[in-house]
Amino acid sequence: MQTTENDKIRIADASFPKPFTGGLEFNAPAHGTWNIVHIGFKIPKAHQIYICADNCMRGVVMTAAEMGELSRFSSVILEEDDMVFAGRLEESTIEGVTDVLNSLPEVPPVVIVFPVCVHKFMGCDINFIYDELGKRFPSVKFVRGFMDPVMQKRGTTPDQRLRKAMFDIIPEGEKDGSVTVIGCDMPLGKNKDNDIRILLERQGVNIRDEADCKTLEEYYDLGKCSSVICSYPAGVLGTKAFCSRIGRPFVYMPFTFGYDEIDEALGQIGAVPVFNGRVSCDRTAAGLKTLLADTEIAIDYTAVPRPLSLARFLISHGFNLKRIYLDAIDPDEKEDFDWLVSNAPDVMLCATMHVKGRRPVRSESDRKILAVGQKAAWFEGTEYFVNMIEGGGLYGYAGIKAFLKLMEDAFIVPKDTEDIIPRKGLGCACVL
Amino acid sequence: MKKAYKILPVYTGDVSGFASALYELGGMLVIHDPSGCNSTYNTHDEVRWYKQEALIYISGLNDIDAITGNDDKFISDIVRAAEDMKPKFIALANSPLPYLNGTDFKGISKIIEDRTGLPCFYVQTNAMHDYTMGASKAFLAFAKKMLVHSDKKTKGGINILGSTPLDHTNTKFVIPEGRTLVSNWAYDSSLDEVLNAPSAELNLVVSSTGLAAAEYMKDAFDIPYELLGDYFNVKRERSRNYIVGEPVISGFTAAQIKERYGTDFNVIATTEITDGLLSDCDRKCHGEDEIRDALSDAEVIIGDPLFELISPKSAKFIRLPHFAMSGRLYRKEIPDLMRLEDYYNEP
Repeated sequence: MQTTENDKIRIADASFPKPFTGGLEFNAPAHGTWNIVHIGFKIPKAHQIYICADNCMRGVVMTAAEMGELSRFSSVILEEDDMVFAGRLEESTIEGVTDVLNSLPEVPPVVIVFPVCVHKFMGCDINFIYDELGKRFPSVKFVRGFMDPVMQKRGTTPDQRLRKAMFDIIPEGEKDGSVTVIGCDMPLGKNKDNDIRILLERQGVNIRDEADCKTLEEYYDLGKCSSVICSYPAGVLGTKAFCSRIGRPFVYMPFTFGYDEIDEALGQIGAVPVFNGRVSCDRTAAGLKTLLADTEIAIDYTAVPRPLSLARFLISHGFNLKRIYLDAIDPDEKEDFDWLVSNAPDVMLCATMHVKGRRPVRSESDRKILAVGQKAAWFEGTEYFVNMIEGGGLYGYAGIKAFLKLMEDAFIVPKDTEDIIPRKGLGCACVL
Repeated sequence: MKKAYKILPVYTGDVSGFASALYELGGMLVIHDPSGCNSTYNTHDEVRWYKQEALIYISGLNDIDAITGNDDKFISDIVRAAEDMKPKFIALANSPLPYLNGTDFKGISKIIEDRTGLPCFYVQTNAMHDYTMGASKAFLAFAKKMLVHSDKKTKGGINILGSTPLDHTNTKFVIPEGRTLVSNWAYDSSLDEVLNAPSAELNLVVSSTGLAAAEYMKDAFDIPYELLGDYFNVKRERSRNYIVGEPVISGFTAAQIKERYGTDFNVIATTEITDGLLSDCDRKCHGEDEIRDALSDAEVIIGDPLFELISPKSAKFIRLPHFAMSGRLYRKEIPDLMRLEDYYNEP
């Protein structure tokens, strides 16, 4: 099936996994998702140094500024002469990083260095740079970041590779029977909304959460686990490399709404089945359906890692899901895609980056639309939305019930969409 | 090291300056960039994005097209988008990779013009300069491409040049008695108003971003220009009181303070365009270390609050938030620059 040049398409007519033809790209004013700066600051005490041109620098340095973290962020600015003379780029990078580190009150234990697209295109000798920096600052662990979005359309994204580089500095420790959860930016839910936590803690298993490390020691201790859980797609690349290096098994457990998948995944980590989980979820969903009645629902890909799984859940429980905002489909969602094609062929897939996104066609009636995710909220022009990214730390039947409660709250209490969604990095510190 | 910024952010970049300058004029602005330029711009450098439409896009350049110099996709994507969105004109901006591989933007502009029938022009950015360079080049390129001579003059007509939210976020310009506003480049003016600019009798340059277009209009349409507040008419002496920031606004502010209170302030210009805009007592600084050194003997400093991070503790610091420096951090504090009493007072 061909991709469409339009900005929306019935799911029954959509090609998988890429429904839309690429073109110029719009950027909606919804910025709750994390970027590489937010992700890098998950390593306690880490200092970030970017080496790039002014305009590219602006986005990352202001991310740090809005987090109140300028003291952990520095810049080395590239200029035209760095791209003309052989060896100048390496020199500017090494001397710039050196100058920054020598000027800090104390040399940080971890430094994440971010070269950019230009370094790759100029054939810059990255290994030489790190060898030299390692000699100059032997006490520093250098994390090899990269801000090179030019590579992301055909390969891995900068944030996938950053996560991998961040895991690369975690040492292998003695197995202590614990489970490390890794790869997601949202801490594992603590309020009885995550079956991973509930079931493992019931068995007395200690959980270490990469998204919730308060000290560098805690971060390094992630390598003491006996097994690993990855809960977010962007973390899989790094988790595989990490587990291969330290010789631990891992299970991929993104927040899904498929009961069978939940049971299978929980079984893989040795958890006993959740008593009455399905019935309890079905009952909660039925209660919410009564409240929402035929309210139109729109969801987006930033809210949960498995949006089609959520769509299938909503449709199969009688909700009036109309639109799914996404630009591509995770290949892992093929089964849910096929189910939706057969059972909800008129559900619309809507691109978020298409040029027409600048002029969203919104309902002129006063009827309430419930959105899940910030992008869906902006495109729909609604103040009734679930403000969530990356699944919000939820998992399992407990997670589904907590999610349905968030939908209920969102339906009842309006939010100040214009104030909330332009803020960056939901869940991070924000000084705005 | 000039290139290292230990704690200060950089100013808004030239690509964002380009977009800010042309935001309201009904064109389609395309940044040839893999990713990030548009997000950076609309998050940190633009106050209008949430509510006010502007057709600003990136090309989504990928590595293979960049390496092989394949411009076909770039061109065809623009043509297709223009058919969908019906802009009044098309403007193109550059970023580091197309700059490195020598993309022929002028040739591409010509092809796009032929295929769309719309005016198309290139603004020579490369992401390695600050917003003043991008906005200045955008205003100049727009003027050269879009303006035509007008025999009909607007009596007392005045154009404001160099007004964007990056510098004049909350400024309300008061038009002097006997003058009529023809156009504001380009904040709260329509395309038609801006196209009528050649009918004006005077251009008022309110930031360094408007200077190049003013000089062009002086040559092309014989319209003289003045700097904001005609600030060179107020003589200032050397002092250890400093105003840090964009030179026209800082010069204007320094002149106002001298006139009102008799106090001398010297300008430390920290943005790129300064030629002809500084008095003898002022200076230009580039980079965090130079600015820190220049401020080291300060008694009083007026500037964006972020400059306090590199100011001597002994200096009195007066906050004057500048959107092109601190973005959204102090947006609610940004004053109307025409109202000195709102941000500077002496007993």
